Amino acid sequence: MANEAVPTENVFDAPPGQQKAKNTSASRDFKLNNVAGYLFISPWLLAFFLFTFVPMIISLGLAFTNYDTLSQTGEFIGLGNFERMFFEDRRYWNSVKATVTYVSFSVPLRLAVALLVAMLLNSDRRGVYFYRAAYYIPSMIGGSVAVAVLWKQLFGADGLVNAVLAIFGIEAIRWLGHPDYAIWTLIILAAWQFGSPMLIFLAGLRQIPQSLYEAAEIDGAGGLTKFFRITLPLITPIIFFNLIIQMIGAFRAFTQAFIISGGRGSPLDTTLLYAIYLYIRAFNNFQMGYAAAMAWILLLVIAILTGINFLISNRWVYYETDLE
Amino acid sequence: MKISRKLMSLAVLTALLMMTMGVAVQAQDTTLTITWWGSQNRHDRTIEVIELYESLNPEIDIEYEFSGWSDYWTRVNTQAAGGNIACIMQHDYRYLTEWSDRDLLVPLNGLLDSGAIDASGISDSVISSGSVGEDVVGISLGTNSQTFILDADAFEAAGIELPAFDWTYADFESISLQFAEQGIWGMAYGIWDDANLKAPLLSTGQDLYNADGTALGITDSQVLIDYMNMIVGLMDAGAIPTMDLQADISAPGLEGSPIVDGREAMRYQWSNQVVALTTAAGEDRNFVLYPLPRWGEDGVTPNYLKPSMFFSITEGCETIDEAAAFIDWFTNSTEANDILFAERGVPVDADILAYLADQVDPVTAQVFQFIADVSEVAIPVPPADPAGASDVIENVLVPLFVDPVLFGMTTAEDAYPTFEEEANAILAQNAE
Repeated sequence: MANEAVPTENVFDAPPGQQKAKNTSASRDFKLNNVAGYLFISPWLLAFFLFTFVPMIISLGLAFTNYDTLSQTGEFIGLGNFERMFFEDRRYWNSVKATVTYVSFSVPLRLAVALLVAMLLNSDRRGVYFYRAAYYIPSMIGGSVAVAVLWKQLFGADGLVNAVLAIFGIEAIRWLGHPDYAIWTLIILAAWQFGSPMLIFLAGLRQIPQSLYEAAEIDGAGGLTKFFRITLPLITPIIFFNLIIQMIGAFRAFTQAFIISGGRGSPLDTTLLYAIYLYIRAFNNFQMGYAAAMAWILLLVIAILTGINFLISNRWVYYETDLE
Repeated sequence: MKISRKLMSLAVLTALLMMTMGVAVQAQDTTLTITWWGSQNRHDRTIEVIELYESLNPEIDIEYEFSGWSDYWTRVNTQAAGGNIACIMQHDYRYLTEWSDRDLLVPLNGLLDSGAIDASGISDSVISSGSVGEDVVGISLGTNSQTFILDADAFEAAGIELPAFDWTYADFESISLQFAEQGIWGMAYGIWDDANLKAPLLSTGQDLYNADGTALGITDSQVLIDYMNMIVGLMDAGAIPTMDLQADISAPGLEGSPIVDGREAMRYQWSNQVVALTTAAGEDRNFVLYPLPRWGEDGVTPNYLKPSMFFSITEGCETIDEAAAFIDWFTNSTEANDILFAERGVPVDADILAYLADQVDPVTAQVFQFIADVSEVAIPVPPADPAGASDVIENVLVPLFVDPVLFGMTTAEDAYPTFEEEANAILAQNAE
């Protein structure tokens, strides 16, 4: 009786050990399910095609031209944009430097803060639901212009941050004007918006069985040992996920930096994030072809870094399923 | 009673048809589109003028769109790319050449010759300032010139004498240093923006760009280097706040300039911003308007009579005659100028200038007088900024020359060759 083909309602219901039949009602149902699925997502699919995919292809084409929006077409200039970008444009490298600085500091900081807060919120105390919502709020309003404007005020010479520092006797720092400090206003803003990774960490932490901690305590493990031996290894998949997502987001950061630096990457190009320089080239100088080239290089870099991350993830990420 | 589907769709269709008919009836008026940038003050005045024109000309319907300066060029460039730019657009010296070179602006020579736009009261130099080559592509809406505004009360309180009208940068430097000793800034910011960097060059017979816009026009770079060193010296002496303070000081904008609350003794503005500044500073202030200083005893006063902005007619406009009539009325009629009241700059038409001179408030009258005084010593208007100028200023001049020098990362002598090389490359590329 084993190995007999069994037609089933749903392809996933086939009893274990028995083959799933081909060309029975099962596979027809499967195809019908597919069609229904595609129909359901067809609005999104259409919008994606029209507003994302097609413009992306056009942008790829534009990257090899000198299109400048004012004339109707651009001329094909081959790799001219890329040559100029890498070899002649000094400001390009300023923006790369600013972006790399931003990503290197803001991503680890944001993840660390998110994990810390998630651990604090990983309790069953009264009111914890309120705190979970409350600490997510900065992230919800984070992308907005209003927050960036307010943030700029906070870090102004007479702003709240300097007032707090003055309590500790630290002299007022010229956050917005000093080239060494301006990028930190952006990095701290990024760290403040830890809500999304925090919630994901929280979900991961909740999945760690309490029995592991109890067993460790019986063996005499202290707080730090529990963290490094139990918590951290078990949430490495979550860390990995958050790392990828946050890194991609950080490379593309624009709004906050645009408002806080006044759209110019000042002072001294230290806050000239890649996306801002792209915007300046595209909309202030109307060099759309050049900006398109910049955008595709960014895509390439993010793709390569994500790929590297995936490759080395085998070394440090432990999935539950690996242990079986 | 159940309404059948066919009946429903018929009803909807009829309703839609009726709506389109209504639109068709309205479309018999001629529609004129116009766009401009400015402050709320300017928006209010311009809209009032437009409504007045519509009431005087009922068959014309004007659709307008306005914005602030920083968003304006992004918007109109997108509109030009999409082919739906307004018929009349406000234009600026910085972009006039670029737009004209790409055939986006209609030459107005024919309209001027025929009198459709009456330019009889406008001087030839003003007409030519709106020209690119032989084509007149913009009608100036007001004359402007740069001014250093000196707070006479502050000078008196500090015991410093006001300089002569034809003062020099050496005078400016020594005055600033004297104020610094008393804890007041000479001038907090502004003298390193691109318009002011041109001043010592123009004073010594050079310009930032050469005559055909293919390269820099700086023949004696030492002038620019010495000018930058002067600013660095003033920063070191405390007469100008250092760069790390600048972001906070310039954040409040025009109405919050340090001269308003006495933290500085002098302020640089374009003459059509004086009224707004004085309004913010208060009525009992004693501001005196000076031209830009000269560079060295042999330098000339680098002021020129700049058109504050233009009205241009865009290519593809189907209502050119109506547009010309509107521009003519805007510039030459007393009814329009009663409302506009020289907000865009000193009127270009001699009759309107005389008409308004009696009616304006003391500050605007002071500005009119200043323009009159400056026009006696002004140099001819330099050619419009060439294509690529905005690229040079934004991506080379400021981040690779001005900022590094003023932040103390390098000296003007060391930074100048980089600036020269990159700027020339951009201008040459754009000239093709």
